[in-house]
Amino acid sequence: MPLTDMTRPSGACTEARLSFWDGAARTVYCTETEVPFPDGRLIVSRTDLAGIITHANDAFVEMSGYARDELIGAPHYILRHPEMPRVAFKGLWDTVAAGQKWHGWVKNLRKDGAYYWVYATAVPNVRNGSIVGFTSVRRKPSRTKIAELTPIYRQWLEAERAAS
Amino acid sequence: MTLNFLIAPDFAPERFAGWHMLNTALQRRSGIKLHLLTPASPAEQSRAIEAGQVDLIYANPFDAAGMVRDKGYIPFARPRMAFDEMVIACAASSPATRVEDLRPGARIALTDNRDVKLIGLRLLEPADLAESDIQWVAVDSYQAVARLALRAEVEAAFFLAQAYASLGRMTRSQLKVLVESRIRDISHVVLAHPRVADQLPQISAALLGIGGDAAGLEVLEALGLPAGFEPMTQEDAEFMIDLMDTLLD
Repeated sequence: MPLTDMTRPSGACTEARLSFWDGAARTVYCTETEVPFPDGRLIVSRTDLAGIITHANDAFVEMSGYARDELIGAPHYILRHPEMPRVAFKGLWDTVAAGQKWHGWVKNLRKDGAYYWVYATAVPNVRNGSIVGFTSVRRKPSRTKIAELTPIYRQWLEAERAAS
Repeated sequence: MTLNFLIAPDFAPERFAGWHMLNTALQRRSGIKLHLLTPASPAEQSRAIEAGQVDLIYANPFDAAGMVRDKGYIPFARPRMAFDEMVIACAASSPATRVEDLRPGARIALTDNRDVKLIGLRLLEPADLAESDIQWVAVDSYQAVARLALRAEVEAAFFLAQAYASLGRMTRSQLKVLVESRIRDISHVVLAHPRVADQLPQISAALLGIGGDAAGLEVLEALGLPAGFEPMTQEDAEFMIDLMDTLLD
């Protein structure tokens, strides 16, 4: 089911129009509120081969701000934050589709416009020799890494905007 | 024919009698003779597995991954609502209040439980600490881990959460939890060697029904698994193994 536009939060926010690999597009709203990653927990999700969410654990539901019913059946890019450059995800799908593990630091967008940083790992689900889906596990990230990557992601994003 | 039933060596010493009670109950309920193996260390467990002596195993998740994927063991049960979590703690007098207060070169005490170390390493990442940044102090028991921590001979200590909870009240009062995992997706599993697949229905039924009477409930209490066991499918196990895979690095 295609994503609908986000509901504008009541407070101050910025608006952005995101387009995705499958041709879908969505208007999102972002606030400056960061929700800290909860200590000791893991965010776990699974998708099918098309990136549609098929499993969301409790931590995923809580951190995303969406109800479980809203997540199941939605594309994983429901979490895409407009400050994440496309190149940061470059190789993710190629890597896991080739049967390899992918790691990356990701800024995710919540339903309420706030954000949370994660260190994400994605692995293919190989069953009887075939890839049948993907598992993604997000854990608490290093703030040092986030501080290093934030200006880099900003540069990449500016380069992508200049090129488009 | 007698089947060997191996119990992973990470259970608390006070549960030893409980595993023997379970073994007896399973034999009575299934009509299958079982010989309990309780190796004293992971190395002793590995030798038994490699020697082909293990027909049934209550395995920790790290070992289960290899046994299911590489050796073809069949997952069929897991403890209900009993997850493998870990605790990072330090002396109560330590100035540290969270994992991010630990620094490179920190000494951390632990046992040779690989699941605990694996999860603990992931919980150290927010502090920018990798395995090579730590001075590891390996000891034989969680009691020894606790002693090192409360004497402040190490900056932190890794515990299986159940083991931490089993420490005496006085010991725990002298320790401080820096972080406790709440993953709730990783647990021990019960596996069967493919050669005993024909007997698996009787064994599985006996294990899953163990809490159905007063005697069975007594066994589960003795094991510290009051909610008993629930079925585990191959896909349930594969899901957990995929999750473990993401934690390896």
